[in-house]
Amino acid sequence: MNSQSNAMLYDKVLKITNVYLGPAADRFMSRQIQNHLNKEPNELTEKDLVSLIVWIKVSVSLLTEDSGIVDEYITKLNELANAKTPTKS
Amino acid sequence: MAKSNKNSLEVKKSDQSMLYLMRPFFVIAIVYVLLINVLPANEIVMERYNLGHDQYRVLFFLVQLPYMIIWFMAFYSFAKLQRYSNKIQKSPESEDFRTITKGIKYLAFGMPLVSLIAISLNSIAVSSPGFNPTAVIAINYLSLIVPLLAYTTIRKGTHGLADRAKLNFGIIDTRFIMSILVVIGVAYCYFTFRKLNLESLGSADNPYYLPAWIMITTIIMPYLFAWFSGLLAAYEMVLYSRHVQGVLYRQSMRLLSLGIVGIVAGGVGLQYLRTVVPRTGHISINDTLVWAYFIYVVLGIGFSLIIIGAIKLKRIEDV
Repeated sequence: MNSQSNAMLYDKVLKITNVYLGPAADRFMSRQIQNHLNKEPNELTEKDLVSLIVWIKVSVSLLTEDSGIVDEYITKLNELANAKTPTKS
Repeated sequence: MAKSNKNSLEVKKSDQSMLYLMRPFFVIAIVYVLLINVLPANEIVMERYNLGHDQYRVLFFLVQLPYMIIWFMAFYSFAKLQRYSNKIQKSPESEDFRTITKGIKYLAFGMPLVSLIAISLNSIAVSSPGFNPTAVIAINYLSLIVPLLAYTTIRKGTHGLADRAKLNFGIIDTRFIMSILVVIGVAYCYFTFRKLNLESLGSADNPYYLPAWIMITTIIMPYLFAWFSGLLAAYEMVLYSRHVQGVLYRQSMRLLSLGIVGIVAGGVGLQYLRTVVPRTGHISINDTLVWAYFIYVVLGIGFSLIIIGAIKLKRIEDV
């Protein structure tokens, strides 16, 4: 059950990343999680999101000088991190 | 500390890899410059421009230098694309990028190799004029093989990318591409046929030293096929770069696609020029050379865009 919700969280992060990195999104996210959090993508938890977003901001800033794109991407990730996960009764 | 050592080792390894990929260019360029200095000078050119042997060699080198710069850029873009393709080898689109890279590789190797063979054959033709028709025919066919292989291979890769993204040609785009091909094809036939003896299709009394029917079926038709493949490849790449998801990925892909448009346009222009203005086997400082230099600029811009695009795409995979 836990691994399923972790995978769902990864999918949500990936969906946002897809808008910016397209076909490279999955590889990019996997690298960020493996290299900076020392975890596998399906082990990503909500607690990891804050530090992951910091790393993503650093990495994406290396790819573009357009701070508008970086800010927009990070805002979307922060919204995901701050959103309350709905619980099933 | 350990991580920084690992990083520096990786950087060193990738630098070596660039050097490894660029090595054939340096070998071919050195051999070419050696041939310019070793092979006998062309008496016709020396007489026409009132040159001594050394002056002839300097002139030959200077005339060829811009084209040698294009070879360098072609090899450099092949090396950069190869490194990007290696980086994404586990991804679904890697096969298509590898195929595109292979097409650029054919161009990178083909352009200087044809020039190497051409300078050697022309040199033989200088000492034995009877060999001139053989040299002209051989160089014409060799020059055809390169774009035929390169463009059809690049097209296979771009088609794979477009197919994967489920992209199809719109009716307006199809009409646009067909119109370009018709204009290029008809103008090409018009300029080439003017030099052929069309009253006797079997006569080889023309600057290509081939009967008209052989010229049409084995030179003109394959060239038109190659150019059509090149145009489709360029279009599919533009289509993919327009519709693929990912703002940052799309920016890099746009550079790559414009680069492919540039090398296809430049390549078609150069092949067009070299068939429409028949080869003489020696250098001529005339308006054709000015056109050739203009086309080199287009090719240079194309290869530069491919290099920048490949660097940006690889950076996405590095961070």
